[in-house]
Amino acid sequence: MFLAVFASSNSGQVSPDATLVQRLLQRDVSAFEQLYDRHSRNVYSLVLRILRQASTAEEVVQDIFLQLWRNAAQYDGSRGPFVPWLLTLARNRALDQLRLKSERQRRREDQTEELPQLVASPDFEGSLDEKRRATRVRELMAALNPQQKRAIELAYFEGLSHTEIANALNEPLGTVKSWIRNGLLCLKEGLQATS
Amino acid sequence: MFEGGIASNVVNPSNQFDDRFLELIEAYALGSLDPEELAAVAAHLATGCDECNQALAESRCLVSQLAYLAPESAPSAMLRRRVMQTVRTELAAAKVQASSVLAGTKSAISLWMWAAVAAALLFAFYNAYQANSLQTRIHKMQELLSAQIKLQHESARQLALAEREAIILTNPESLKITLAADNKHFPALQAAWHQELGIVVSGQGLPAVARKRTLQLWLIPKTPGAKPLPSLTLQPDAEGKVDLLVGAPPDSQGATKALAITEEPEGGSPQPTSKPIWVGTIARK
Repeated sequence: MFLAVFASSNSGQVSPDATLVQRLLQRDVSAFEQLYDRHSRNVYSLVLRILRQASTAEEVVQDIFLQLWRNAAQYDGSRGPFVPWLLTLARNRALDQLRLKSERQRRREDQTEELPQLVASPDFEGSLDEKRRATRVRELMAALNPQQKRAIELAYFEGLSHTEIANALNEPLGTVKSWIRNGLLCLKEGLQATS
Repeated sequence: MFEGGIASNVVNPSNQFDDRFLELIEAYALGSLDPEELAAVAAHLATGCDECNQALAESRCLVSQLAYLAPESAPSAMLRRRVMQTVRTELAAAKVQASSVLAGTKSAISLWMWAAVAAALLFAFYNAYQANSLQTRIHKMQELLSAQIKLQHESARQLALAEREAIILTNPESLKITLAADNKHFPALQAAWHQELGIVVSGQGLPAVARKRTLQLWLIPKTPGAKPLPSLTLQPDAEGKVDLLVGAPPDSQGATKALAITEEPEGGSPQPTSKPIWVGTIARK
């Protein structure tokens, strides 16, 4: 199972991020500053990649972190690691903004206010440090067929559906579905192997 | 993948583990499913399938890793300042609010003071209400008094008129005039004319006057060819009685040959518009 990648960190130790979020509940500004400094680059990079406009991206990043400050209780450390939760929140916010601009119909499940359910509490931070993990993800994705990688990027960064991707790449729908599923399985296996 | 069987799953999303749903979980976490598949998977997850929900949790974790494909960029230092400033401002505002609430609970004297102010305000409002109420009552009393005075004046006027009529009718100097009707079914009317006090016309058993019509008294001049002089109008009451006092006749006894009564439009006329119903010649003593 993919969650076994994080088994080593699931030994009862509380992650630094989870501790900081706990302090956020006590309205600890210093904890908030640390969380911002730890994750604002990744969040901003993701949002900028989706929106492709720096000023709008900064507005969205500001909203994301203020939401974290105001509603820290939305994150439940016992249900999953912090970084995937934050990145999911950031992606959803950015795609919402993108769709708002393009008036594209919403097709994706709304996860903005919802904590991802991670029943086994995998801890990304404890397993691989962030830079190593980013590098590994890029390596694994670079190993995919370029069209396959492109299909996954269109889904993740543009919020396109299978049919829209098939149209964009001028490929059969079934092929696109297989590319995406197989590409994600490759990524999963690659990360498991790394651990 | 899932082609062909999606519709039935939308209708009946079983909570039993199903490989077909599991194959779609990664795409569901990625948000790339088309609407029909999306609805089918969402419905299945809502049934509480443990395996699929656990697979979804793993897939969300996996999908979140794709964020590292984004080229690395750093937000501006200004953004950091802005965010921190907002957070500190909100925190300070929350503290001020909390301290105000605390101060409110600790300051019993202040509370009593406010209670006293509230009581004073209530008393003031009560007094104002009472004063207003009293003023209203005084105003009503004044109106009532004014109406009574008016009534008294009217009664006095009526009494004076009655006295005047009585004098005219009983004074030996008054001329008595009988106004005979041109219709044998109508009663004759009686008139008394005092040179200074005026004319009184009275009678009873008169027929009702038509709607929007009235009776009118005329002075017929002695001067040959002169037109009748209009006087007051009169209306019989419900019992057919009339009682008219003309305080200032339009001409003198000496210049008048006869009195006549005609039926005229409501309000009277400057000249007779119909033949006289009652006529009484003035016979000098």
